[in-house]
Amino acid sequence: MTGASAGATASSSMCGSRGRRLGPLCATLAAAALGGCGLGAGDAPGTGVGLTATRDFGSRTLIELDKAKVSGSDTVMRMLDRNATVAKRFGGGFVQEIDGVAGGRSAGRPVDWFFYVNGIESEKGATSVDVNGGDRIWWDHHDWTVTPHIPAVVGSFPEPFLHGRKGRRLPVRVECADPGSKPCGAVAEELIGRGVPAGRSSLSHSPADETLRVLVGPWKRLRGRDIEADNVDSGPRASGVFARFDRGAARLVVLDERGRSARTLGAGSGLVAATRAEARQPVWYVTGTDDAGVASAARAFDESVLADRFALAVEDDLPVRVPLASGRKP
Amino acid sequence: MIAYERRASPLHAARAPVAAAYAVALVSSVLLFEHPLALVALGIAIIGAGVLAGAGPSLARAALFAIPFAIIIAVINPLVVREGLTVVLRLGELGPLGQLDVTAEALEFGAILGLRALLVMLAGGALLAATVDADEVLQRFRRISAHSALTAALAVRLVPVLGRDARRLADARRCRPGAAARPGPAERLQIVRAVATGALDRALDVAATLEVRGYATPAATRGARRLREPWSRHDLAFAASALGLVALALGARLVGVATFEAYPRTQAPVGAAEIVLAVALVIVALLPFADRRGVER
Repeated sequence: MTGASAGATASSSMCGSRGRRLGPLCATLAAAALGGCGLGAGDAPGTGVGLTATRDFGSRTLIELDKAKVSGSDTVMRMLDRNATVAKRFGGGFVQEIDGVAGGRSAGRPVDWFFYVNGIESEKGATSVDVNGGDRIWWDHHDWTVTPHIPAVVGSFPEPFLHGRKGRRLPVRVECADPGSKPCGAVAEELIGRGVPAGRSSLSHSPADETLRVLVGPWKRLRGRDIEADNVDSGPRASGVFARFDRGAARLVVLDERGRSARTLGAGSGLVAATRAEARQPVWYVTGTDDAGVASAARAFDESVLADRFALAVEDDLPVRVPLASGRKP
Repeated sequence: MIAYERRASPLHAARAPVAAAYAVALVSSVLLFEHPLALVALGIAIIGAGVLAGAGPSLARAALFAIPFAIIIAVINPLVVREGLTVVLRLGELGPLGQLDVTAEALEFGAILGLRALLVMLAGGALLAATVDADEVLQRFRRISAHSALTAALAVRLVPVLGRDARRLADARRCRPGAAARPGPAERLQIVRAVATGALDRALDVAATLEVRGYATPAATRGARRLREPWSRHDLAFAASALGLVALALGARLVGVATFEAYPRTQAPVGAAEIVLAVALVIVALLPFADRRGVER
């Protein structure tokens, strides 16, 4: 029995015995119990919760815990407090420093800590987001000159497919430009092998808002199909993806942390990236410049390859970090 | 209203700047510590000093006003702070406040903040007002800035005058037919408005009087002669006590005694060093009261 249901049961038995006089009080208590109120810390998540802290878009790992310490109904902030040395500001609502790495300015550019729950940027602060069983919490300290808003990342794979959002699993659909192709089957099998009941279909023109979608196919087939694809083409400010295809989708340009073109990948290159439009669930792209690029991206659709990456480009089956570190020559 | 009244106590026997420094030292010590044991010791010292100086009733009156403030601080802290690991109450989503979990650590630190506020109000407000002769302080301050001293002296004088005005206006209001014995909020507001208006009139009168008496000329506000008065044993004792309190507080901070961490878990170690410090704070603060010779003057 959850804390909320226990509270509701207790208040209903009291209300039954005292009659009408306690009616309003009972209603308030029941509403409070159902609204997540209660005494004590609440129930702890049933399964382990992962915690990762990295720097510079996942390029350097500071903390990597598969089973972090969690107690009661912890929030993301409290869980971080239990597992790291944290300095905070604004009454404890904003993380300023984790294990000695502080937000502020670095080399004249704004840097701060951002967090993702199951690879999805939160709409609320860390003090208002509950930790659920199986969640992967990822804190990253990075330059936000280009954008402070990166709505989804791929580095927590197999999340969000396995545990969804806010403790609720989401329907998953693999939409492919060619549903019978090998990359499409590989992506679907990877998810099904992890216990994710993923449906497979051709590309849809009417995506459901509550469905997690993985779109597989060459970018020229995916481009312009939905708002998320338009955002990727618009650049990192709109999509949070620091890579974009050229006009003919024949080349993939990888950007650096400052949003500048850092490397151009030619034919046969692939991309695994995620983004999200407002009020919709994330969309993952397993795509490429051509069929060979899509096949490369599908091979990279793997936990060990995607770990701690915001997005991943693939060239000659070799992973290329997205975004690239600024200063690196193409 | 707490006003200075000369009493037969060692603190009153000390010169006003020294007595003021003693109160300021107590306030500074309170602000330098968050450790509950040190704060309790300082609380004992402040109440003890008030009682030994014959200002116990003044402190009690001040406490009546200060305790509600301290409670408000203690209650607000856990509601606005998102720190601490030990959740004792989950209040769920509360609109713009977001998810509100009350933690034991925030409650404890709220209590400490409330206690500090209470002690600051007692030491920096009641004890200072009851034991420090403002006239004497201003007289000495006149050597530094005659205009400022004059302004402060007038302000100090005007406060009780306005208090008496308010009482007279309240008495007059009660004499009106049908008036309640105790004024309600609306009647109180009327009295405050009348007193405020009267204060401006009085200020203009005072300014005119000062000008007529020549206070606008440089000669009238030229620095006063230095008062050469040898330091009494009480001056020396309370000055030493003030220095001792500040030295103890700063020393403890420097060597890491009575350290306190509120978040994420409350850490307030209590060992021999903390106990010795607490006892020392009380002794250093109250020792000057042991010598009661020559307290009448």
